[in-house]
Amino acid sequence: MHDQPTTAIFYRLGSFALVMLGLAVTIFVLARVVPGDPARLALGPAATAEQVNALRHEMGLDQPLVVQFFSYVGRAIRGDFGYSLVSQRPVIVDLKETVPATLELVITSVVFMFIVAVPLGVVTARYRGRWIDLVGRILSLTGVTIPSFLFAITLQLVFARLFPSFPILGRLDHGLGFSSGPTGFLLIDGTLAGRFDVVADALKHLALPAFALAMAGIGQITRITRSAMLENQRKDHVLTLRSFGVPERVIVFRYLLKLSAIAPLTIMGLEFASLIGNAFVVEMIFSWGGFASYGLNAILQKDLNAVIAVVLVSGLFFVAANLVVDILITLIDPRLRHRGSR
Amino acid sequence: MAELQMLDPNEHAVSGRYRLWWRFSRNASAVAGSVIILSVVILAVFAPWLTPHPKDAGMVVDFLHRHQPPSAEHWFGTDKVGRDIFSRTVFGLRISLLLVVGVLGISVPSGAVLGLCAGYFGGWTERIIGGLTNIMLAMPPLVMALAISNLLEPNLFNAMLSITILWWTWHARLVYNVSKSIATEDYVEAARLSGAGPAHILFREILPNCVPVISVKTTLDAAFVILFGATLSFLGFGVQPPTPDLGTMVADARQYLPEYWWEVVCPGAAILYVTLGFNLLGDGLRDMFDVGS
Amino acid sequence: MAAALLDVQGLDVFFTTYGRKRQVLRDVGFSIAPSERVALIGETGSGKSVTAKAIIGTLPNNATIDGGRIALEGEDVLSLSRDRREALKGTAFSLIMQDPLSSFNPVFRIGTHLDDVMRFADRRNGIRNGKAARRKRIAEVLRRVQLSEPERVMNAWPSELSGGMRQRVLIGLALLHRPRLLIADEPGTALDVTTQDEILNLVNRLVEEEGMALLLITHNLGVVRKAADRVVVMHHGDIVETGPTERIMKEPAAAYTLSLLDAVPALFGPKVTDQPESRGVPIVTIRNLDKLYGRRQHRFHAVKNVSFDLRKGEIFGLAGESGSGKTSVARMVMGLTPPSAGTIEIDGKAAGDRRATQIVYQNPGTSLNPRRSVEQTLTLPLASIGMRGAARSARLDELMQLVRLPRSYLGKYPHELSGGQKQRVAIARALAAEPRILILDEPTAALDVSVQKTIIDLLLQLRDELGLTYLIISHDLSLMRNFCSRIAIMLRGEIVEEGRPAELFAEPEHPYTRALISAIPVVSDDEEHLKPKVTETERQRFLVAATQ
Repeated sequence: MHDQPTTAIFYRLGSFALVMLGLAVTIFVLARVVPGDPARLALGPAATAEQVNALRHEMGLDQPLVVQFFSYVGRAIRGDFGYSLVSQRPVIVDLKETVPATLELVITSVVFMFIVAVPLGVVTARYRGRWIDLVGRILSLTGVTIPSFLFAITLQLVFARLFPSFPILGRLDHGLGFSSGPTGFLLIDGTLAGRFDVVADALKHLALPAFALAMAGIGQITRITRSAMLENQRKDHVLTLRSFGVPERVIVFRYLLKLSAIAPLTIMGLEFASLIGNAFVVEMIFSWGGFASYGLNAILQKDLNAVIAVVLVSGLFFVAANLVVDILITLIDPRLRHRGSR
Repeated sequence: MAELQMLDPNEHAVSGRYRLWWRFSRNASAVAGSVIILSVVILAVFAPWLTPHPKDAGMVVDFLHRHQPPSAEHWFGTDKVGRDIFSRTVFGLRISLLLVVGVLGISVPSGAVLGLCAGYFGGWTERIIGGLTNIMLAMPPLVMALAISNLLEPNLFNAMLSITILWWTWHARLVYNVSKSIATEDYVEAARLSGAGPAHILFREILPNCVPVISVKTTLDAAFVILFGATLSFLGFGVQPPTPDLGTMVADARQYLPEYWWEVVCPGAAILYVTLGFNLLGDGLRDMFDVGS
Repeated sequence: MAAALLDVQGLDVFFTTYGRKRQVLRDVGFSIAPSERVALIGETGSGKSVTAKAIIGTLPNNATIDGGRIALEGEDVLSLSRDRREALKGTAFSLIMQDPLSSFNPVFRIGTHLDDVMRFADRRNGIRNGKAARRKRIAEVLRRVQLSEPERVMNAWPSELSGGMRQRVLIGLALLHRPRLLIADEPGTALDVTTQDEILNLVNRLVEEEGMALLLITHNLGVVRKAADRVVVMHHGDIVETGPTERIMKEPAAAYTLSLLDAVPALFGPKVTDQPESRGVPIVTIRNLDKLYGRRQHRFHAVKNVSFDLRKGEIFGLAGESGSGKTSVARMVMGLTPPSAGTIEIDGKAAGDRRATQIVYQNPGTSLNPRRSVEQTLTLPLASIGMRGAARSARLDELMQLVRLPRSYLGKYPHELSGGQKQRVAIARALAAEPRILILDEPTAALDVSVQKTIIDLLLQLRDELGLTYLIISHDLSLMRNFCSRIAIMLRGEIVEEGRPAELFAEPEHPYTRALISAIPVVSDDEEHLKPKVTETERQRFLVAATQ
């Protein structure tokens, strides 16, 4: 019995590895086949045929696609994604610089989402049809109907008008004279260096973009938490507790909340991919200078090595997020722990 | 025959159609959503006749009247080259609806069929379709759409294509979950024992029972597709000028903020209006059909 | 009757659905004296559960109480404030929940449920107790409901307990604060017959020991005889008759009560019907059938070395409790699952001929597609044998006549039909392609007792008219006693006994058969005396097997 949870986790890890492999194949084929000759793209129209052929050989493009793919995967596993045509540096160096900024933004906004949306979903379900439900519904509708670029622009405008001193661009005030430390996460590096002014300033900078990014998720998660709560409210076990006089608040905030957390967690995992997508827009508007901005630029410049790396790293984020979700759900639901490896 | 009389007359006098109508008419959300969508569809279809300056949807330049605030002549004001924003917004809605029809018209049926097959046949069909779906779900949709449409050539058709390629997975997943549970129902087995072939079972026995879930999801998706398309063109990867597109209009007008605010607010409000319509209808349908999250 | 513990007077309850208001309880009145056991009996839609919900205060939101009074120890609970009413729960009255499977929140341990119920009831009653003290009291109560390892039960997740164990915990839950009135809603109905019997004995004993009053809600007359002093019979929201159990069972005054009693198949005595034994040739031959599920350590031997013949024109019954393997046998005969070993021959050929066998499922609610009309459902098998046009239309007429449904019902959808009508449609579908053998999978288990009788009568007529052979699988031995020409009893995948019903019931040889027969609730004392004797150790032996 005891080995079953670990079997289940290994099984999930295996399937995630397969997902990553499939993703790699798709993007690799897409990037090698669709745009024509990458060597020609890299050198520009002025280059001679000899130069192009020389680069083709150097890049291994004259080998069969399968061979190219496996040698690429072999290198990618060791962190070698090739050179970026635009920055003229190894892609991995660019990633190391930009990924922490995006992770800091995305994680903050996920935390934000759960802090706002889950209680809101619970309360709106508990007081269904009352004014608080209406407020919650309007808020969640706002989240799912306003495109994040519009929301981000509006936030910027409003804050620029009302609080001119509030930062609406970038990650940190340059006047603080702090450049990122070992982790690249300003909140962590600031704390490690004992620079709490940096932490405070970084938080200020994070507030608007994180909110803009979280808005869509807040709408979704509120909605899903609410309907999961309402659905579970009709179950027999609620009747059991009710008919023995367990107070409604205990039933709602203890029994129903834990059971109803499964649905929003699952959705969060699935929506993680679109969260990363939205980060592209939000980073652009707030001049965030993270991995998403880097990716957007790579796509614009048809910087193929960087594009492939960006897609793979985004996929890795998705897979990692879903692994965390899986573990959390398994912790919540004992039935999953006993179901075995299937 | 005693039980024929034992029927409770009140219980069964209500027909299925009446029930649905009753629920719809009591559902403020569904009614409001339908009204909004209907108005958008009418505006979009009859745009050339309903807009004051249909020519402004094209490459018209009128520098004398650029950046004019909303007035009786120009309800939503004019843009940087003096075109009527109201007319362009209505034509923009047309593009948005076209995108919805194009994307969902292909991805919903194909996703549903794949999901049905995976759910009913199981085995290798299930594993292959499931694996494919999982891989596609791991791709950040916006990143992929950007990549695809830029590697090809940014335009409306390629934007539609790239969204469609990613969108079917959600429907495949949804229909798969529903059909997998329906496939174990006694009535499916009974149909098989009655000599029904796979096509009959998939499309006559299982699919009709998936319709509520699919229609709710499709309605909510319409809003997402519009948001998605607007985001693509906001970033410059979707519809190309001079074709009026809501996302492009917002992106173009952004540099003139905050003085010429109406140039952002009006197309922005149009996006909000149409996505609100689909969301209200979707929420309403969910309540009506009583399908879970 | 001033001393009544519970007094219900002129209760009128309405439900509003789709904007239409309809009355579900009409002038319902009865009372329960302290330590009295009263049964509320009725079929689906009789209002018995609504009455219980009105008393407990858990009516659905679309329900309104338009008149009447529910007095508990002289105090009208309907006029009490919310808090005062909450305070009655657990102490004045307690409820034993019906469905042990879904009565616990799956993501909380059993002990958490118990502790929370006790903690808040304590708080309402001003008792101050620590967690340890509560745990001790909970363990005591669990021991009282015969759960010998209370610590293990408390630490278990709901999904780790068997149905019987969960039902016991639910009873324990109701006992935590020594209520004066115990309300039991169909206790043990979802469980096997031997477990159900055990649960009933337990409730009976506890009610007696604690001096509690009992309000028993049930559709089963046998259960009533066993566990109630007085009976309230309900029908379509009205009370049709009230009286002592003894009198109601022997000489019911209301015609409805009489029809209800008549519909209950008798186990012993003069009311039993004996089906003639078939002298026909074997139409199905089953030899050394084995079925294994799963792989390696999860292997489960569902059917072990089962052999029997099905003779032409007979009704062969496979009886057993859940997990006995009877359904697996039926599915193999249908050709739905391949046997792991052994042979099945139908008319001398290997099984798999779809035309020869058809099946009628237990629950017509799930065996008919809700989105397809009766006509569409019945046309499918006809189309698959290539019947179309006028022939098909004529056959549809014929089928509707066979199952005694008007032709106009062809256009109806399942939700417009009653349970019995749905089952008739399911039978018509099974008959459409003219099979020779019908497999009946608990064909009446989901139906009310009066409807059950009409379906059984219909099946008997159809057999005579069409010369069919039936293989019925069921756990309901009193039904099979009257319906089958031969019965085989299955236990843990094996047939332990086989014979003609008259002989099998008169002198059951295998101890399991005896345990099974003796656990069936019967409606008369005469039948009770005719039940086979079972020793306590024998009973326990098979009980454990069935509940784990």
